[in-house]
Amino acid sequence: MSARPEPPSWTGRVRHAVFSAYPPEQLLPERQPAYVSSWIYVFGVLTLASLIAVVSSGIVLVIFGPAWWHVSSVGHFVNSLHLWSAEMFFFFMAVHLWGKFFMAAWRGGRALTWMAGSICFLASIATAFTGYLSQQNFDSQWISVQAKDGLNASGIGAYFNVLNTGQMLVWHVILLPLALILLVMAHILLVRRRGVCPPLPAKEPRSPVPENPDYPRSPDPAAEWTGAKRRYDLIKELVSALGVVVLAAVVLSTLFSSPDEKSVTVARWANANPTDFLTTAVAELDKTSGVATYGPPYTHTPGAGQTIVGSFSLARLVGVHIPIDTARDFVLAPLGIAAKSNPPLTTALASYGSASPAQRSAWTSAYAKALDGVSFSGGAPVVAPGNYGPVAPMMSDLLAQAQSGGLDGALIATSHFYQTDYTKPLLFLSDGAYLEGLAEKQNLLGSQWGMMNETGNYPGQAWLWGYAFWYQIRPFKTSDNADAQIWAIMGLLSLGLVLVPFLPGIRSLPRHLRVYRLIWRDYYRRAEATRE
Amino acid sequence: MIPLPAAVCPQLVEALISLGGKPHSIHAGWFLISVANLVVIVLMIVAFLLALFLPFPRERDDE
Repeated sequence: MSARPEPPSWTGRVRHAVFSAYPPEQLLPERQPAYVSSWIYVFGVLTLASLIAVVSSGIVLVIFGPAWWHVSSVGHFVNSLHLWSAEMFFFFMAVHLWGKFFMAAWRGGRALTWMAGSICFLASIATAFTGYLSQQNFDSQWISVQAKDGLNASGIGAYFNVLNTGQMLVWHVILLPLALILLVMAHILLVRRRGVCPPLPAKEPRSPVPENPDYPRSPDPAAEWTGAKRRYDLIKELVSALGVVVLAAVVLSTLFSSPDEKSVTVARWANANPTDFLTTAVAELDKTSGVATYGPPYTHTPGAGQTIVGSFSLARLVGVHIPIDTARDFVLAPLGIAAKSNPPLTTALASYGSASPAQRSAWTSAYAKALDGVSFSGGAPVVAPGNYGPVAPMMSDLLAQAQSGGLDGALIATSHFYQTDYTKPLLFLSDGAYLEGLAEKQNLLGSQWGMMNETGNYPGQAWLWGYAFWYQIRPFKTSDNADAQIWAIMGLLSLGLVLVPFLPGIRSLPRHLRVYRLIWRDYYRRAEATRE
Repeated sequence: MIPLPAAVCPQLVEALISLGGKPHSIHAGWFLISVANLVVIVLMIVAFLLALFLPFPRERDDE
């Protein structure tokens, strides 16, 4: 009696599929094709080593919490290691990308490898971006209030709120690193599956000559390599690269540390520039400020919201998801807290609340004009006599509340105990001139290519030059819809980067530019030697 | 917070070479770039060129 063969189990099928696609000798080979003999090949592993350093230092920062590095010298040093590892990660990745482009490394069924790698690059930018937002210092504040416009214009900002520090922190320490690590693993597995792309064809000889099978003149990129091979210890290469990267990160961190420009509080703003604070506050109260008239995702302002082409607006399509009433959220609600122990303020708020919209507007307009000649006596604002109604005492109390630090707390107060969302105070700060003035001194304005820059003389996000560039030229320089239009352009360019293997003209550039002749010069020398 | 001897702490925070202070940049017409970013970009190009031109160690026992 013969036993019936067991049907294959799911486990067996998965094991068979994995080991068929990745036999151990293919996953971790000890030899590589002879053409893998250029320093350009080491930038891939240097990128991987830098990623390991970034993740490792990031894990230490996560263990001790987001505020640790601001108050601990050890924490600051670990943050420096994280920063410089990230700088090296982008540095090596960019050179790796250049090298692979000039090799036309997508040939022979390797388009998916290129696509995974270029998506890694884009995911890395997103991860670094959320890292800048999670620093909890002036840099984070400025980057978030600037970046919100692009994200809001593309409709993304309604769900991916860069002013919500808690949301950004979770994206930075969990979601994006996880996605990036999975993408990098997919990229590496694709490289191992397909092997390293062979050289582009060598020059054809003038007369037919026999070919050395070890160094074929026109290797088929889709076929398995059967030519000469050389020893290549991948693990030793990775460990060596990791040593180099860690040593460099320690040296750079010791020499240069990392920037940590102190964050701006509403109290600091109100004390440093009370006139600017009052001017902004009264504009929030009468709803004429930038935020009050912003449109989606904050307000239902008719016609507001950037358009990409004609009247097509992704921001309007998505709608208001983070409703902000500047009068209530920035002025009246905080004053309501102070009024509980301030009877005259209670009376003033009641008077303002019961007035007609026209009357309120007349009071705020008159007070805003009077602020041109404001002076301060004992910290309280003094304006020329006029019909300001309850607005003058309200603004005076709001300034006192702000200067004492009470407004910082009131702007983030909710019915919940815990709070990680700084949308309201950041929007309020962004309407004033104080924050922008500080950013200008640090060359961080959009007109100063600021999105590429870090505070002080630290290297910033040089890889964003292609994004910053558009803001410097017409028509975008003067367009009210610049963010929406530039994000649309960058979306198309990013798609173009991912799809390079399929773009006629672009995918042929490496053949015309002939940089590959330098990369594989040893190979071509040997291939040509067989013809002599 | 991890406590450290007072003598060690400042050395971990304060850079030996300060990159703080007023930022330096190069400005030409509409083009503006910070010196730090320029240095990084130049170093990337130099690294790429070195990788192209420096001879890679040869293998003794090529098959």
